Amino acid sequence: MTDISAIVLAAGEGNRLRPLTANRPKPMLPAATTPIIEHVFDELLEAGVTQLTVVVGYGRERVQSHFGPTYRNVPINYVVQEKQLGSGHALLAAEETVSGTCLVVNGDQLVDRRIIADVIETHDAGADATLGLIRQADVSHYGGVILEDGEITEIVENPRDERNYRLNAGVYALEPSAFEAARAVDPDDGERSLVDAIAELIDSEAVVRGVVSEGLWVDATYPWDLLRVADSLFAAGTVPEREVADSAQIHESATLLEPIVIADDAVVGPGAVVGPSACLGENVTVGASAVCEHSVVDADTRIGVNATLVDCVTGRGVRVGAGSIVGGGPGDVHVGDRIHQDEPLGALLADHATDDGGVTYAPGTIVGSDARIHAGSTVRGTIGDDTEVQG
Amino acid sequence: MCGIIGYVGDGHDTADVLLDGLSGLEYRGYDSAGIALANATLDVFKREGEVSALESALEGADVHGGAVGIGHTRWSTHGPPSDANAHPHTDERNRVAVVHNGIIENYQEIRDELTAAGVTFVSETDTEVVPHLIGQALDAGYDPEEAFRRAVDRIEGSYAIAAVFVGSETIYAARESSPLVLGVGDEGHYLASDVPAFVEYTDRVIYLDDGEFARIEEGGIVVTDREGLVVETSIETIEWDPEETGKSGYDHYMQKEIYEQPTSLRQCLRGRVDELEGEIVLEELADLAVEGPVQFVACGTSYHAALYGSALLQERGIPAQAFLASEYASERIPVGEDHLVVGVTQSGETADTMRALREASAAGAETLAVTNVVASSAARECDHALYIRAGPEIGVAATKTFASQQVALTALACVIGGGDSREVVRGLRSVPDKVQTVLDESTAREVAAEFVDADAYFFIGRHYQYPVALEGALKMKEITYKHAEGFAAGELKHGPLALVTERTPVFALVTGDGEIARKTIGNVKEVEARGAPVVAVTDGQSDVEQYADHVLRVPTSTPVAAATVANVQLQLVAYWVANMLGRSIDKPRNLAKSVTVE
Repeated sequence: MTDISAIVLAAGEGNRLRPLTANRPKPMLPAATTPIIEHVFDELLEAGVTQLTVVVGYGRERVQSHFGPTYRNVPINYVVQEKQLGSGHALLAAEETVSGTCLVVNGDQLVDRRIIADVIETHDAGADATLGLIRQADVSHYGGVILEDGEITEIVENPRDERNYRLNAGVYALEPSAFEAARAVDPDDGERSLVDAIAELIDSEAVVRGVVSEGLWVDATYPWDLLRVADSLFAAGTVPEREVADSAQIHESATLLEPIVIADDAVVGPGAVVGPSACLGENVTVGASAVCEHSVVDADTRIGVNATLVDCVTGRGVRVGAGSIVGGGPGDVHVGDRIHQDEPLGALLADHATDDGGVTYAPGTIVGSDARIHAGSTVRGTIGDDTEVQG
Repeated sequence: MCGIIGYVGDGHDTADVLLDGLSGLEYRGYDSAGIALANATLDVFKREGEVSALESALEGADVHGGAVGIGHTRWSTHGPPSDANAHPHTDERNRVAVVHNGIIENYQEIRDELTAAGVTFVSETDTEVVPHLIGQALDAGYDPEEAFRRAVDRIEGSYAIAAVFVGSETIYAARESSPLVLGVGDEGHYLASDVPAFVEYTDRVIYLDDGEFARIEEGGIVVTDREGLVVETSIETIEWDPEETGKSGYDHYMQKEIYEQPTSLRQCLRGRVDELEGEIVLEELADLAVEGPVQFVACGTSYHAALYGSALLQERGIPAQAFLASEYASERIPVGEDHLVVGVTQSGETADTMRALREASAAGAETLAVTNVVASSAARECDHALYIRAGPEIGVAATKTFASQQVALTALACVIGGGDSREVVRGLRSVPDKVQTVLDESTAREVAAEFVDADAYFFIGRHYQYPVALEGALKMKEITYKHAEGFAAGELKHGPLALVTERTPVFALVTGDGEIARKTIGNVKEVEARGAPVVAVTDGQSDVEQYADHVLRVPTSTPVAAATVANVQLQLVAYWVANMLGRSIDKPRNLAKSVTVE
């Protein structure tokens, strides 16, 4: 293939990542300091893709405005999936934009270029579809496939049995027959998934291949996974040990500990200690003498004077007051009626959450978007969006 | 971002095809443009300004019917656009003309080498090394194709490059990390940075890969690799509307530009706000010393920004006034050597504003251009220039450039006014995020649906929100073709209140909870009493919601930032009303983007 078109699926909210996805889709959440989908684009282009079609839906303006008409000189064609009725439905929305073989990837998972390149190389007209796979012990939260002699015989979402599954990395080379299969799928609860389309292909005796690759593959299922995502990027060297944007202002008395990434226009005040494993997004401010360690701090957030953030994830425009303390994980995280025990999360503060200073966050605390916590409070558990916490 | 175009045809309308193509690339930005036509001689025409400036230049010129030609449109973000720096570039003996999009990284090295060999450069561009390299190879006896290849082999960096030679009917092209697409037509072949340049002639295209060369002749297109071996290419048919790509998935450029505001505002502020020192730094104005009063001259939306700028300066104790540029001369405004006259103009070419600036300059005043276009007429002719860095704006109705003008003028006011800017710095740094919040959460579409059939729209505000009220009304007029007026809130009772009925919604800008907000709420009550529906644009600090029929919420911010943030809601309301009325949003009737006549 000389001209390779890729369809990037980026229309879904990713509702398990709430409250971070209140204003944007999962692909736009930060992997270190850049959106997950931007890493996906980079890997696609490095693997030789020459045309990008992006299926957008939930929070689509965020995707469109971030990239504009081109990315690294490759034109981006946006297709709108008005209603998010599954990944198979999203694929069909983009059908008009491609002809012949095309590559399909999830826009909300970090995927190594080697996985993409292996799929491109392995796929030929002899197969209806070729899937990128990786070896991973635990596939129970993802899609698993059974691979026999390079052919996939079964595809299962969230497999619970102990068979020898490979993990579906969400990278597909598809022939037009796959679109037919996606159309043939009976909607389940109104949704058509791409995995069901692959299952349909397998059932119809089409040739579905799998290729097992080495390389980084990370999915954020829950908001605190963004810490793990950043760690993986540092470990893989995708993000350099130390990356400080030219336009960032770092006071001469501040200490930066690697690995660290600081985006454009960020400011680090006198005496602050940032890192190791800290990601400061665009226009973030770290106040004087504040500490920020092993945290992902998204754009426009202000960390007050003397505040401490350890194992913390923030959304955009968060205000952490002076002297507030996120002491670090592990902690029990309450999501809905489930409790995730001993997660490595200090606290999660969603977009525009504000504290007035002197607030102590118990490990595993989740603060909803636009919530406000009054000075001197101690908070734990889950605090809803737009909530005000006193004392 | 630049754009290039090339055309090989039967020689009838080469110049027209190139000009059309350049117009199709205008969304990539433009501040200068040029074309080269090759036949027995090589004719190069280039001009600063929009493609239309080049067009008018060509009208009077003696354009021969060359069968091949290339063209270029340039949007400088650094370095001045000038006739000399515009493409195409030629060698010293005018044998070859070259257009280029990209960056030649080793150009300095090549330039030094060529200069040492006695070559005289006429421009400051990196591109000019290419025609000279080709010229050298021609001197050494190589044929045009080999000369072109040798030159391209020498350069490093990113490029989409095309060249035409005197006495030849072939275009040579090469690409590395910059877009280049070839069009296969019935009446000729094309090359361009992007499909819109030639889509009206053909939808069959060949995408050139990195490292590939193309030879384009009337008889056909041959693509080769670095070694000169012929590469099999496939011709694809474009099925999407390429204009849609330029709009990045939005229905209109205006909508795209409204949503781009967080990004363009960040660009405007980058490197200018120093939070550590609590000060604002405008490097380009380092030698600006303001001794006396400040006068702003501007038109349309820029005039509203100017009103805002003068309010900011007045509050800092500096006498400042804003004037409509078209009235400035006839009103015989006293101006002298102690004055600073600030021209606010997006394009930097607005004729009325230019005239006013020239008058002020003739009277001895110091002049400053606040503009979006680097080295535009205003920027060149004024003593100082402050760039708002909003990026190209295609929609005729100004949106993101107004926001960037507001922010740039706030920075200017702090620099001129002096004093502690800590609070302003913090306010400005929060603006992009607050604008993003409005874009994420706005209910403007619902409000627009409610009032799409209204007889007229009124907008009221005080102090910093007064210019926003005027701008909100102007946007509504421009793109919906409906009657709209903005008033200082206190002026309602002195006349305009007579116009208010239950079919005329009033948009009230009420931010903060101070005396100004309270007074505007008083005016809201006057309107309510006359039965008009009230839409409050508010941060919820005051109790205006109790009196309003609809609320367009904005996040709480500093008074200075609030004007920029609140305006976004009014942009969205105008956009959605126009959309529901099916108006030509990007090109409203009777209007042009940059008005270069008085």
